[in-house]
Amino acid sequence: MRLRLFLLSILIGGMIGCTAKPEPLVFGRDACYTCKMTLMDRKFGAELVTQKGKVYKFDDLNCMLSFYNSGYEDVSDFKFIQVVDFANPEMLIDAHHAWYLKSDNIRTPMASEVAAFEQEEATRQYKKEWSGILMSWGEVQTQFK
Amino acid sequence: MRTGFVIAIIISCLSAKAAVIPVGLQERVTRIKDAVALAKPGDTLLIRPGVYREGNIILQKSLVILGESYPVLDGENQYEIFTIHADGVVIQGLKFINTGVASINDLAAIKLLESSRVRILQNKFDNTFFGIYLANSNHVWIEENQLQAEAEAEHQIGNGIHLWKCDHITIHNNRVEGHRDGIYFEFVTSSLITHNHSEGNMRYGLHFMFSHKNEYRNNTFKDNGAGVAVMYTREVTMVNNSFIHNWGPSAYGLLLKDIRDSFITGNSFAENSVGIFMEGSSRNKIQHNRFNQNGYALKLQASCDDNEIIQNNFQQNTFDLVTNGSLVLNKIEANYWDRYEGYDLNKDKTGDVPYRPISMYGTIVERMPQAILLWRSFLVLLLDRAEKAIPVLTPENLIDPLPAMRPYDFN
Repeated sequence: MRLRLFLLSILIGGMIGCTAKPEPLVFGRDACYTCKMTLMDRKFGAELVTQKGKVYKFDDLNCMLSFYNSGYEDVSDFKFIQVVDFANPEMLIDAHHAWYLKSDNIRTPMASEVAAFEQEEATRQYKKEWSGILMSWGEVQTQFK
Repeated sequence: MRTGFVIAIIISCLSAKAAVIPVGLQERVTRIKDAVALAKPGDTLLIRPGVYREGNIILQKSLVILGESYPVLDGENQYEIFTIHADGVVIQGLKFINTGVASINDLAAIKLLESSRVRILQNKFDNTFFGIYLANSNHVWIEENQLQAEAEAEHQIGNGIHLWKCDHITIHNNRVEGHRDGIYFEFVTSSLITHNHSEGNMRYGLHFMFSHKNEYRNNTFKDNGAGVAVMYTREVTMVNNSFIHNWGPSAYGLLLKDIRDSFITGNSFAENSVGIFMEGSSRNKIQHNRFNQNGYALKLQASCDDNEIIQNNFQQNTFDLVTNGSLVLNKIEANYWDRYEGYDLNKDKTGDVPYRPISMYGTIVERMPQAILLWRSFLVLLLDRAEKAIPVLTPENLIDPLPAMRPYDFN
């Protein structure tokens, strides 16, 4: 009985250890899954994590969305959809709740011309500077379909 | 007599118009900024040797700026040095050091905005964030410049020669070292890139996207972090370039992604992790190239079609060719493969039995990279032989029907 409990606890422990979670993007080393480019610009990037814990990294929003819409993985299978906060380089935030700015004054690694933000305040500030269009996650998705 | 008179008038006009303004500590004008303010379009500023710390110099006149024995323009790790918005400018013989580093603005030693007919010749760049930066410009010559940087992390450094939305640019005989990307193009068309040397850059020696109808000849790309990457472009010509020793887990001698209707001929791929990696590329001709001592000479993804891979030399590569599918939509013909073990009974210099460039072990390693541990083991040798006799894993139709018996002499 005790042995069984012990084995069970190991099993559960193992399962917890294996839960799907996001990984930080390693700039200068990780390559974008879609365009194969090495990640360099810390203000841009995205990540998808599946229920099973497979991590896909991207250098720009359009690379992420072209993979997201490709059908290679089921869209409902993505447990985490994250984008880099432009105002906090390298920081990944939830894509559903991010603010997006599109403007041809934004130079992104793959010319998506979209920057993502966590805070509304920062978004408004850059919007003024770049005269961009403000978008939500739903709108950004349709942009690159 | 009359023509002599006309010439005399022209000369007198020219000499009256184009003045030479010397700039230096011993001269009347000591600062470049003052000289720029003083000068009329067409004048020459002759910069005497010395160190000039003047912050950002904005140039909106057609001037010739000539350096004498490489005067130093110091950006004091804070400023962009030249910002140019004028046609017909010449910048020659200057040394630029220590521009500022910024994460949002791309500070450069020479930034050219919406200008044409500009020449940037024989300058030296030491530790600049971006070296030469062109946006919305055309008909520019960038020749014989030397760019060098020693950054430790990729975010502390920009690209050596960076072009955005330009056309008709000539980039000849420059040397770029230690930048993020040596030469970077985005939306650049109808340009000529010859005899450049790009070495030891953090990411790519050459990197271009959406840049159609450009020609690359006799360039060398060596020891760059991830080799050379060219993407989303059509009608590229790459002739007689060398891709040497680009080594690492995601390094490619040449990464072709979505490239169409292009010619890749007479190039040399030596000692790269992957010689050429092709994905989503069609209708390209890869001919007369040398593949020597690469990990993989050619990685041809199943998303490529209608490419012609003909008359190349494959010598001393660990794997000649790997692919990730079973469809064969490309033409592979008349190459020289040093692993070919066939015979030529009718003496027509082509092998009488087809060559299968894909080894089974290569296919296994492609699916399961850990299997590389078994490389050169007896087991692998046995399996490869068995697979040659009865193909199971490797695409049956992927053959070179007319393998050459001797390597081609491309010299």
